[in-house]
Amino acid sequence: METPRDDQLIADLHALRPAPRPEFAAELDQRAAAGFPRRSRLFPKSPPDLFTAMRGKGPAHLRRLLIPVGGVPVNKIAVTTAVKAIKGSGSNTNLSMDRSGDGGASHPAHPSVEYERAVPMPEAGEAEVGSLTQSSAAPAAGSTEIQPSNEGFDASSRNRAVERNAELVLGAAPADVSEDSSKVFEAVHAHDGIVMNSSTREGKPGEAGARFELLIPSAKLGDALAALSAIDEVRSRHEATNDITAPTVTTGELLQDSKARIDSLLAQLEATETESEREAVEAELAQERRHRSRLRAELQHLERRADYSRVLVRIETGAAEESSGGGAWGIGDALDDAGHILAVAAAVSVVALAILGPIALVALLAWLAHRAWVRRERRRVLS
Amino acid sequence: MEQALVAEAQAAPRAGDLAFERLYRSSRDDVYAYVASLLRDGPAAEEVTAAAFERAYRKRNHFDPERGEPRAWLFGIARNAALDELRRRGRQAELAAEPADLESLGAPEGAEHHERRLAVSAALERLQPSERELIALKFFAGLENREIARVLGLSESNAGTRLHRAMTKLREACDGNA
Repeated sequence: METPRDDQLIADLHALRPAPRPEFAAELDQRAAAGFPRRSRLFPKSPPDLFTAMRGKGPAHLRRLLIPVGGVPVNKIAVTTAVKAIKGSGSNTNLSMDRSGDGGASHPAHPSVEYERAVPMPEAGEAEVGSLTQSSAAPAAGSTEIQPSNEGFDASSRNRAVERNAELVLGAAPADVSEDSSKVFEAVHAHDGIVMNSSTREGKPGEAGARFELLIPSAKLGDALAALSAIDEVRSRHEATNDITAPTVTTGELLQDSKARIDSLLAQLEATETESEREAVEAELAQERRHRSRLRAELQHLERRADYSRVLVRIETGAAEESSGGGAWGIGDALDDAGHILAVAAAVSVVALAILGPIALVALLAWLAHRAWVRRERRRVLS
Repeated sequence: MEQALVAEAQAAPRAGDLAFERLYRSSRDDVYAYVASLLRDGPAAEEVTAAAFERAYRKRNHFDPERGEPRAWLFGIARNAALDELRRRGRQAELAAEPADLESLGAPEGAEHHERRLAVSAALERLQPSERELIALKFFAGLENREIARVLGLSESNAGTRLHRAMTKLREACDGNA
């Protein structure tokens, strides 16, 4: 097919073929024998060449850098968002440690300002029937002292009238109810509290028990609760606050106004000249004095509500499930916990996907665009 | 005994490494010739040739024999590396536009051959860069038409047709020079 002229042309082309320097060939052979170890740079001669060499490392090098650099903040964002989402979705959840079914319902709640606090449960003591170790994922309760939980309240309510309520459920053996009741009285008296109402019932486990309605000086509520919690096993503890500053201030102002009004009426009374005028002022004065008495009583009541906290203490006997509605931690609880963990994991995954999905899509589009641009540029080089 | 066998197996080169070594031995000078023809810069051609082999070595496990022959795959990598280098430099490819060092050829056949090769070199300069690349792949790198087609992403018949046209133009250019 090829003519003699073509043979000559091909021979000439072969003669023009560039050949590598022997030194380069030998060096390349050495590198090949060593498995082509990575060189630190492609063109180590000058800064522009160094820049070129760094670019020449390619996307794999960049990926190695970007994965840890980008992964950490993305994970942080995902976890933070998930935690916030989970917290946000549970904002209406009762976060107290109350595990009794009617714990919240029986509490004198004030929905307008009430909030409930998660109270750290005491450490486990000696193993006892009905201890909180049988309840859901809470630490076990024991006889160790509970730290006062109202320190935060004190700081925020120093100049405010805050009414506090607490409910404490203790678990005890039937034989211990009487002794525990005595300890409750001792604890109340030790903290200058008042036992407003109490009842004790003896009998079989589940029937025996005691109930106390207490007034504890608010300043000593934390200590009193700690002392009460130390009496026996704590099955639940529930606290609530109600800010009554506004009605207290209003009532105090009305009382001042009433006093001023009475002073004014007394002055008018001195200035009266006729009997009929005097009778009219006296009637008005009597009415204002009754009004002042009502206001004073109301203010005292409000101050007493702020000064004294209502505490309901119940001593229960029998297994903890009677108060908690649960039982020993078993298969059902394990499934519940597993379901909760899976739900949290799924939430984290969804949030992570929501963040990583768009980023991955943008990265993919950028990579495709870059590849198309590179291919076009390569074609253009030879066009 | 067993440990000795394991050590021997670990020390023995794998089949893939042996195949790559054969590919390297058979293609080293061809790759350099092709890259040097594209770049017209000896030192840069050496760097790009080394980089191409290094890249191919790293990717040797990704090579799929069903998608082409090893030489075509290797020259595809070398072509991309060379074009990237040209692109970085912002230079137009001037395939073999640099006059060949004819003195170094020794010109054993005499002045007639010398003159003729000068004419061929000048004719090459007048071709389109893509035509010069075809000729370089064919006659400098020694690729078959199917390999050239694979490197350039063409069909074999299309590659053959383009090569034929390039040779025709080169011949005409040589005649014109003569």
